Amino acid sequence: MAWTHEAVLATVTKVVGEHAEPGTEITEKTELVADLGIDSLGVMEVVADIEDEFGLTIAEGELRQVATLGDVVQAIESHLHQNGELTS
Amino acid sequence: MSRRTVVQALEDAAASTRTGYRFIEENSAAEPFFTYSGLERATARYGGALQALGLQKGDRVALVLPDNQDFVFTFLGALRAGVVPVPIYPPAGLRKLGGYLTNTLHVVRQSGAKVLVTDNDIKRILGTVQAGAPELKKVASIESMRKSSEKLEPVKVGLDDTCFLQFTSGSTSAPKGVIVSHGNIAHNVHAFMKLGLQVEDGVDSGVSWLPLYHDMGLIGFVMGPLYHRNTVSFLPPLLFLKRPVRWLETISRLRATVSFGPNFAYALCTKRVRPRDLENLDLSTWRVAGCGAEPIRAANLEDFADKFSACGFNRKALLPCYGMAEATLAVSFDNRGLRVDKVDGDELAAEGQAKVADDPEAASTLNIVSCGKAFEGHDVAVFDPTDEASDKPLPDRRVGELRVRGPSVTAGYFDDPETTRAAFAGGWLKTGDLGYIVDGDVYVCGRQKELIIVNGRNYYPQDLEWEASRVRGVRKGNVIAFGTTKPMGDRERVIIAFETAAPPGPEREELKDGVRRTVRTATGLSVDDVVALEIGVLPKTSSGKLKRRETRSLYERGELFGRTSAREGDNLGLALEVAKSQLGYVKNALLGDRGSSRGQDDEASEG
Repeated sequence: MAWTHEAVLATVTKVVGEHAEPGTEITEKTELVADLGIDSLGVMEVVADIEDEFGLTIAEGELRQVATLGDVVQAIESHLHQNGELTS
Repeated sequence: MSRRTVVQALEDAAASTRTGYRFIEENSAAEPFFTYSGLERATARYGGALQALGLQKGDRVALVLPDNQDFVFTFLGALRAGVVPVPIYPPAGLRKLGGYLTNTLHVVRQSGAKVLVTDNDIKRILGTVQAGAPELKKVASIESMRKSSEKLEPVKVGLDDTCFLQFTSGSTSAPKGVIVSHGNIAHNVHAFMKLGLQVEDGVDSGVSWLPLYHDMGLIGFVMGPLYHRNTVSFLPPLLFLKRPVRWLETISRLRATVSFGPNFAYALCTKRVRPRDLENLDLSTWRVAGCGAEPIRAANLEDFADKFSACGFNRKALLPCYGMAEATLAVSFDNRGLRVDKVDGDELAAEGQAKVADDPEAASTLNIVSCGKAFEGHDVAVFDPTDEASDKPLPDRRVGELRVRGPSVTAGYFDDPETTRAAFAGGWLKTGDLGYIVDGDVYVCGRQKELIIVNGRNYYPQDLEWEASRVRGVRKGNVIAFGTTKPMGDRERVIIAFETAAPPGPEREELKDGVRRTVRTATGLSVDDVVALEIGVLPKTSSGKLKRRETRSLYERGELFGRTSAREGDNLGLALEVAKSQLGYVKNALLGDRGSSRGQDDEASEG
């Protein structure tokens, strides 16, 4: 399927929101570990769920470059772009 | 039987063209398998490559290698060249690297490593490390080492030679490098593989996702199996954290018989493995499910056994362990399954006596897991922490400091005579763990230095934190309890600080009341002050462990409240570090920062 930036952002925000403590504001600047009220093991569960949504894997080296929700969106989009699944 | 160096064990294992190491990757169907024969050839190339970099016998080489195969080849190659590897955990994130780089720099400096081997990605961010470590001559890329065809010049390596340096989680800015000799390893491997696990050479097979820069993964699943030619399949630690079911699937698919994890790994599987995944799992071949490296909660292991009995998991496979890097790896195993001592928690706290509970169901009853008896040739005893000569072992059920002696115990810390002297008392290693013994079985209760004493009663901060974590709205694993005599100076006051997503106002006040109430009900202790903080405020080490001592001094200076979220090292990659060194394991939703292993550390100054 083809994804737009808006759809990627919305999907990531939705998945993250399912794991965050209720009432947490979620934006592209949200830091996954610091801001969500979940611990770092919980964050790995979030990553797994995001991977499942998009049917791809975020490699260890990529994870090292991710801090915020915006970074996750970027990592996902670079995969989608490579697979020709991102429309602008 | 005569003891062998790791190098000798590797050369002997090379006769095996059937068993060896399998490296499973997250994203690839290919699972490279190297027989011990192939491993012997590969590691000779890596050893030759290290020699070509100018490394000689006894020189140290720092390894920052996130990939399992790279790590194993380089590590064993170094041993064959007589070079002493210094494993360092890989960086968590590129963005907030301050704490990571400082810690890495300290380890590199303290070890006097001449060369650091890493991959090109990580090499880019380690620039400041090289500038700060005068003895470090070169940062070498694993990418070029993989292609090397340098020939290994044979080096004579003996049992008394240092095999590698195991750095324990950076206590203060001076990380301690445990000297692990080939003799230590030979004795410990014999103890845990033959006496403990009773492995059948070349027949039993292991699965491990444990990080190789930690002793349980490195000695337990790289070296132990090498001595006995057992096949081991390695998974990336991060893959386990992301998808715990992959651990169990691998055991199931490969019909593995031995696998270990810290307590949290079992709890994570209970929580995360979905019902539909159970149908495809067959865990009936798993005869030893070891549990160590952090305190063991009986309930977590029982829940695991309950859930996975449907997949043929045998609860008798559970094997609680006690150990520490200073004793190479393992001190004792209980291979009679999960055995729990039900003791009176009030009596334990007030009198330091592990009295059998009159009412096993009472709220004050603690379930303490037996870690079994010390391996043959080794001793564990309990002493008063002030008994500097280890003159008078305490009687059964008396709580004191656990001390260990035997051929697995290290000669000391590398280039650190002072810390080494302080670590021993009358020939016994002072573990810093509090515990007691019953009929030779070891029971661990906590860490001595964290003890809070109020009106002559002892409280373990972990217990207070555990209770506070149960309050809904308190961020699990982000609670710190400590005692302080400042600013009043009259008596020890007990403070609990926690993080929460709840906004300041009535909601927080309610939470604070909840924490007081819960702690009081559970322990009888009235907390003097409860502090609710924004997420990210509590100080942490680079590996994500809470810093109890720093929290205390911030509190004493009145600075804890004004802090904003400024935690370093906090990002996605933190989870990788969860599994970091001695005790990274403990960053765990269920247990909070609770640990018994010697590397457990609440006072690292790095962060």
